[in-house]
Amino acid sequence: MSNDEIIGRAWVFGDDLNTDVIHPPEFFSLHPDKVKKGLFHKLDPDLQSKLKPGDILVGGRNFGCGSSRETSMRSLLLNEVGAIVATSFARIFFRNATNNGLRCFTFEQSEDHLRIEPGERLTIVVAASKLRLESGEVIGLTPTGPFIQRIWTAGGLLQMPPFGPQP
Amino acid sequence: MGKTLSDKVLDAHALDDDEGATHRRVRIDALLGHDATTALIADAFEERNLKVWDTERVIFTNDHFSPPATAERADISNRFLAFARSCGVKHLMLDRGICHQLLVESPLCQPGGLIVGADSHTIMGGGVGACATGMGSTDILYALATGTTWMRWPQTIKVALVGSMPAQCSGRDLILSLLQQLGESGGQYRSLEFHDLTEPRLSQDDRFAVSNMAVELGGKFGVFVPDEVTAAYCEARDGVAPSAMVLPDADASYERVVTIDLSAMRPMVAKPWSPANVVEVAELEEVPITVAFLGSCSSGRLSDLREAADELRGFQIDPAVRFVVIPASVEIFKAALRAGYVESLTEAGAIFNHSSCGPCGGIDKGVLGATDVCVSTSNRNFRGRMGHWESQTYLASARTVARAARRGRLAPDLY
Repeated sequence: MSNDEIIGRAWVFGDDLNTDVIHPPEFFSLHPDKVKKGLFHKLDPDLQSKLKPGDILVGGRNFGCGSSRETSMRSLLLNEVGAIVATSFARIFFRNATNNGLRCFTFEQSEDHLRIEPGERLTIVVAASKLRLESGEVIGLTPTGPFIQRIWTAGGLLQMPPFGPQP
Repeated sequence: MGKTLSDKVLDAHALDDDEGATHRRVRIDALLGHDATTALIADAFEERNLKVWDTERVIFTNDHFSPPATAERADISNRFLAFARSCGVKHLMLDRGICHQLLVESPLCQPGGLIVGADSHTIMGGGVGACATGMGSTDILYALATGTTWMRWPQTIKVALVGSMPAQCSGRDLILSLLQQLGESGGQYRSLEFHDLTEPRLSQDDRFAVSNMAVELGGKFGVFVPDEVTAAYCEARDGVAPSAMVLPDADASYERVVTIDLSAMRPMVAKPWSPANVVEVAELEEVPITVAFLGSCSSGRLSDLREAADELRGFQIDPAVRFVVIPASVEIFKAALRAGYVESLTEAGAIFNHSSCGPCGGIDKGVLGATDVCVSTSNRNFRGRMGHWESQTYLASARTVARAARRGRLAPDLY
């Protein structure tokens, strides 16, 4: 899994994007259809229906701050978001994403998120920790350590020992 | 170099001796869960035939839907309750209040403890010197089954509190000041270690208000160095003094030291739509309000209710304002009843809802409509969180909320 590429269109957000905006609490539910529909619903009610599987979210500082409600994560997974690239992530959000196998990358240079245009085609070259823009320019991502990569490779925390296959 | 409080707590809970690793496995002392986020793991836990690692060390409560307002939420609540009962959790607290308040009312929350909870404000356990932190449902499922989790050892920011708390201020104003200074990511991944050097010391309620919102700075832990206030609180609660008080080394290595002189502090308010968008009340433009909310895990404690009652005893709130009061737990509600605060506030025009999260997360009774402007003691004023996307929430102390309710507006001359 670590030597693959993630290809998708960019959806660009700013700093401090909180989980109440990512997934408004009124869409909290045990029903997947409702959880899926709520993604960014108050920010832009049409955004969710325009997302395509594999699309990549781009953010600034402190992406995913706020509540721990994992319905925010479930909604991103149900909408098949391919990856998230940001200047930094809020810690609970980063854990939730990693535990569910959704890959979060940080820019090596914090201002690089400003170079991404909404809608442009992005390619994340996972093994090289690089982000290729539609123009062909290449941006450096912070290499992900072995601990996080092991969870990605397993497909999430619940595929790890003692739940998943034993080593 | 010496160790910080969180270094010592994590070292004592490490299950491996791989000190160079970026992430390590640790054992936990207690686990906290509530109806909304715990219901999300019930199916996955049962499908795997898992068992709770230690049923004595788990507190579950329904606080988001207490009691439920819709059939769907009643179904979520029932799923949670069935799950809690089938796993044999010893501390299933039905309709007893907000989980974070119930944690600190429990002997499971001890100085030096390592606690995880399925909600970001679990960090409030730091008010009594515990390293407590919030996590998502998948983490909680793992921890519930194994009694362990994975963690990084965070850098620590030392926050030295000096001077004396002004009579008009409380822990709420203090944490809003810190948010003004550090911003929404100023404590990201950090352990915020609070050293209370004030005279007299901060009250335990003020400490809970501060620890609770350390997560609004991005903090992993928001922990007060335990002292005589901590010991007295635990002894009154447990009947015995804490068995250990984990303290940082005098030569501990801090990433940064922030000193706050409380004597210079003024009542503060966070404007929409960020808890770090903070100004002094005196710097506000005048804003008419339609809703006042005193509650949530951030406030809603006895001292908050006392301050509001002191402000409103013998007066009426403005007729244009709906003032919703929610004590953080049933124990606090009972104490407020005995002290006469409930009567004073009710006579002034406030309405009491059952101890629960209420409208804080936009879920339960008291949520805001498009034209509502609310002044609230809760911890987040993110856009749309308390209800309509166009609604506006200002965060402030219980005293400021009560004064604004009486005046019908936030104004620079509230004090």
